Amino acid sequence: MGTFEKVLDWLVKLLRLLGSLALVAIMLLTTADVVMRAFGSPILGAVDMVGLLAVVVLACAMPYTQMERGHVGVDILVQRMSERSQAILDAVTSTVSLILFALVAWQMWLYAGELAAKGEVSMTVQMRMHPYIYLVSVCFGVLCAVLLLHVAQFVGKAVKR
Amino acid sequence: MSPATLGVIGTIVLVALFFTRMPVAYVMTLVGFVGFSYIVSGSAGLKLLARDFYDVYSSYGLTVIPMFVLMGQLAFNAGIGRRLYDCAYAFIGHIRGGLAMATVAACCGFGTVSGSSPGTAATFAVVGLPEMKRYGYGGRLAGGSVASGGSLGMLMPPSVVLIVYGILTEQSIGKLFVAGIVPALFISVLFILAISLYTWLDPSQGAAGEWVPWTEKIRSLSKLGETLFIFAIVMGGLFTGWFTPGEAGAVGAFGVLATALSRRTLTWPGFVKSCFETLRTSCMILLLVAGAVIFGHFLAVTRLPFELASWVAGLNMPPWGIMIVIIVVYLIGGCFIDALALIMLTIPIFFPLVESLQYNPVWFGVIIVLVTQMGVITPPVGINVYVVNGIDRSISLGDIFIGSLPFLLALILGTLAILAVPDIALYLPNKMY
Repeated sequence: MGTFEKVLDWLVKLLRLLGSLALVAIMLLTTADVVMRAFGSPILGAVDMVGLLAVVVLACAMPYTQMERGHVGVDILVQRMSERSQAILDAVTSTVSLILFALVAWQMWLYAGELAAKGEVSMTVQMRMHPYIYLVSVCFGVLCAVLLLHVAQFVGKAVKR
Repeated sequence: MSPATLGVIGTIVLVALFFTRMPVAYVMTLVGFVGFSYIVSGSAGLKLLARDFYDVYSSYGLTVIPMFVLMGQLAFNAGIGRRLYDCAYAFIGHIRGGLAMATVAACCGFGTVSGSSPGTAATFAVVGLPEMKRYGYGGRLAGGSVASGGSLGMLMPPSVVLIVYGILTEQSIGKLFVAGIVPALFISVLFILAISLYTWLDPSQGAAGEWVPWTEKIRSLSKLGETLFIFAIVMGGLFTGWFTPGEAGAVGAFGVLATALSRRTLTWPGFVKSCFETLRTSCMILLLVAGAVIFGHFLAVTRLPFELASWVAGLNMPPWGIMIVIIVVYLIGGCFIDALALIMLTIPIFFPLVESLQYNPVWFGVIIVLVTQMGVITPPVGINVYVVNGIDRSISLGDIFIGSLPFLLALILGTLAILAVPDIALYLPNKMY
């Protein structure tokens, strides 16, 4: 368990860094594009690039957000349950989420392959899109790994004593 | 079983699953996927999952959100809130309840660089609360004014709620933004009136602060500089068509970063924290959008929203009656579910209805933000109240909820006024577009 957790933690932080870099890149690229446009020479393909960078930002943020448990949920009912029941319920819902996002990761991978075969490219500067979709698929995979870790933690809590 | 019945069952299952504490975004994705697969086919459902997620992540309109979140985060970590507060304090701090009023005014100002209400509440829980406590303000007024004032962050443009609404309903985001300005000022004035009434009834809640001489007052105006500058660039660029809403967020974030760096008010750890927080918040919002889109596709194949719209149309209720019912649904729902999640969940159901009643969609967007503002300060899940309590544990949740009551009344009054006189919201956008 120790190594799995360590590797996963490292991976989540790596993706977080990649996402932050993409975030800053969007800001700088868009600002440069807007300023250049005022001088009559916009950056060619800036819009395409920003679109793909946004995909990188959001995909990379998913495992981190799950790790931090940053999603909103309704806990007014669950709070009244015993610690153990809470852990069991959380283990079940996390397992369901895990299966759901494993399906998404798998489908995303197929979708990327489909677009690669068709040679789909972005609108103005013909950038290839499928590498980014593969990245999204991988990020969903890492999200599943984080969920697996959480399931293990909840199960651990449920069987304690 | 008719598809519409399946739609109703799906919605009930959805609400039931919410209460298991499973993230709202995940529940919407799950129910939408299973329901869609059941009605259409399993392979179509699987395809829908990948397409909808990718479409949301790559949607140009939605790239707006991380940039506006980043702008607010940078503004928070660069101490812009503190400077706005200092200026407002210099002018109205000396009157009874003046510090609370200054908090509301500064929240309204901070709303021009921040698009979210918990973000604004967090800023002033750090900036305004300690000042109010120093002057012996009661926890109720102090906590209530920060939690409620913070809700102005999502009405004053830029506004994440209005962006999401605009994308889901295909309305012009620029137009929605302009429509938020006058109502935000109007609600701020009502909040300030509520404070003066509150402290008139119970003077112990808000003692007057120190008188600030006029020379100081004038000098403090310079603290508004950066905010006005950024607001002017972002809104000006949007209205003159120099850049799109997506670009406005990036330019605004850059503007905040540039002014913060030139004043040396942003540290490297502050910058890194801004980035990480932005990733987290954006991901939370965008997963909610993706979940709502998938759930919306399921509802669309059940035809439930359309059947509901035609059923309501057949009731022969006056349109304003239906509007009141919708608002009550939001008020009650807002007590239990996160505001943004609620909006995304209900837009596919209510928007066709509102359209069929021929209400102005921009005006409805403003009304939705107003009822959402009520949702963030009402128990049991008023997010702003939790944010304030999370930052200052010495004020109990109960006190902040009670302290928010006068503001809730002000919000209800304001909403009724905007319902009766749509021009409060629509005059400016009609004039400019």
